[in-house]
Amino acid sequence: MKLFWCETYKTFSRWRTYISFSAIAVVIIVSEIVMKLSASEILFRMMKIFQKDFLISGNVLNGWFITGFIMNSLHIHIPFLITLVAGDMVSGEATSGTVRLLLIRPPSRGKIITAKYLTALFYTAGLVLFFAGMCTFLGLALFGSGDLIVHHYGKFGIVLIPEAQIPLRMLLAFAAAVWSMTVVASLAFLFSALAENSVGPIIGSMAVVIVFLVFGNLPLDFFRNLSPYLFTSYMNLWQRSFDIPIPWGSIGRSAIILGLHNIGLFLIALIIYRRKDIKS
Amino acid sequence: MKKIFLWLLILFCLSPPWIRADEEAVRYLDAIEKKYSGLKDYIADVNVHFDMETFKTPDMQAKLYFKAPDKMKVESKGVFFFPREGGYFNPALFKKDDFEIRILEPVAEGKKDIKLKIVPKKKEKMGREFVLSIDRNDNLVREIHTSQFDGRETKAKIEYGRVGSFELPRYILLTLDLPSVEPNEKRGFGPFEQKSERVTGTIEITYANYKVNTGLKDEIFKQK
Repeated sequence: MKLFWCETYKTFSRWRTYISFSAIAVVIIVSEIVMKLSASEILFRMMKIFQKDFLISGNVLNGWFITGFIMNSLHIHIPFLITLVAGDMVSGEATSGTVRLLLIRPPSRGKIITAKYLTALFYTAGLVLFFAGMCTFLGLALFGSGDLIVHHYGKFGIVLIPEAQIPLRMLLAFAAAVWSMTVVASLAFLFSALAENSVGPIIGSMAVVIVFLVFGNLPLDFFRNLSPYLFTSYMNLWQRSFDIPIPWGSIGRSAIILGLHNIGLFLIALIIYRRKDIKS
Repeated sequence: MKKIFLWLLILFCLSPPWIRADEEAVRYLDAIEKKYSGLKDYIADVNVHFDMETFKTPDMQAKLYFKAPDKMKVESKGVFFFPREGGYFNPALFKKDDFEIRILEPVAEGKKDIKLKIVPKKKEKMGREFVLSIDRNDNLVREIHTSQFDGRETKAKIEYGRVGSFELPRYILLTLDLPSVEPNEKRGFGPFEQKSERVTGTIEITYANYKVNTGLKDEIFKQK
């Protein structure tokens, strides 16, 4: 536990750690202010498909909707911000030349790497929760509350979640988002354990995420058959929190698959690090 | 000149039956308008229940305000989707000056329902056709079938209840058959995309707690 707090202290002492938090803060503040200023345009675009057939009343563009809207960017942007720190967790020691100093201390390599891994997960959870919290609180302050409409652009269909049910579902969505992002952290962590510098793990993890996302979304039978074997196919489990009824089976299955990825990636990193020959 | 008058007289006597049918059709609508001439406004509680695969929502509630001839507003605590076609009752919706009205089927002896085909004359309402099924005995519109040029089809079946001296809708069953994606909204890889299926389903609208002729002011209908 002490090792974990030491690693956490080290991680949060670096200015690099705060790049992600600052980037998220800027993205959310700017996009929510712009959304507030162009609320009618967003409403028009979003509801255009229904305007012909329905008269719509009520606060559609509310804080909950804005949170869901911004969270949709989670797949592409947040993983990159996670790899910035998770990809530096182990290789950063080699880059800064502190790895020998660290490994001659009493704690075993296993304990050290476990503490580093837990710190990477802690950072991931902190980042996603910061993102979710900021979206929600700023969204509610600027746009107010109301029922949540989940609408896939261009499709004639909605899921409407009554206001009373939203906070619990949002919490479930945030937890699912944290869980799915831990896989990206685990992947970056594994690459970090393999490398001697931080650039490779960061770029490598992002490359894997992007390639998997592209493969998972290509509308060809080969890629459709491949998609169940890509972890990115299960990362959107947070969106299932807004289905009616909540598909617990599908959420549980995705969560287990992602969890197994986490365990597998960490065990590989652990084995590699324990056997690693420190040359620098 | 005499010849012209003679020809006109012959033409009048031999006037095609559809012209006379049009006049008859208008009479049915006039009878409905007359029946509801005393209805100046109404307020009602509306409950909308969606039974559509693509609309996953709990029942929605709102208060509906109507003022003759065509002012309508819904007020709700939460988000509320209310069907534009066939969702609410306006006895003066089909004015003879704005529409071409024809009897769709010859009136059979002993049959109380008659079907009218209504086509808008005004440019802004063009591209839509209505078929009304009217109960001749009670002067009530029982069904409204709307079809639009882009393939939208809605059918409203209306059940009435007595509110004071008026018969007003108690329950409307709306059947929708709509294209799922707007033509200019299509996305994707063209040849790989499958043809979009139509969206079908029903919407049940229940009206309750009518308040009739309460003297609603125009300000209520002004958008905030």
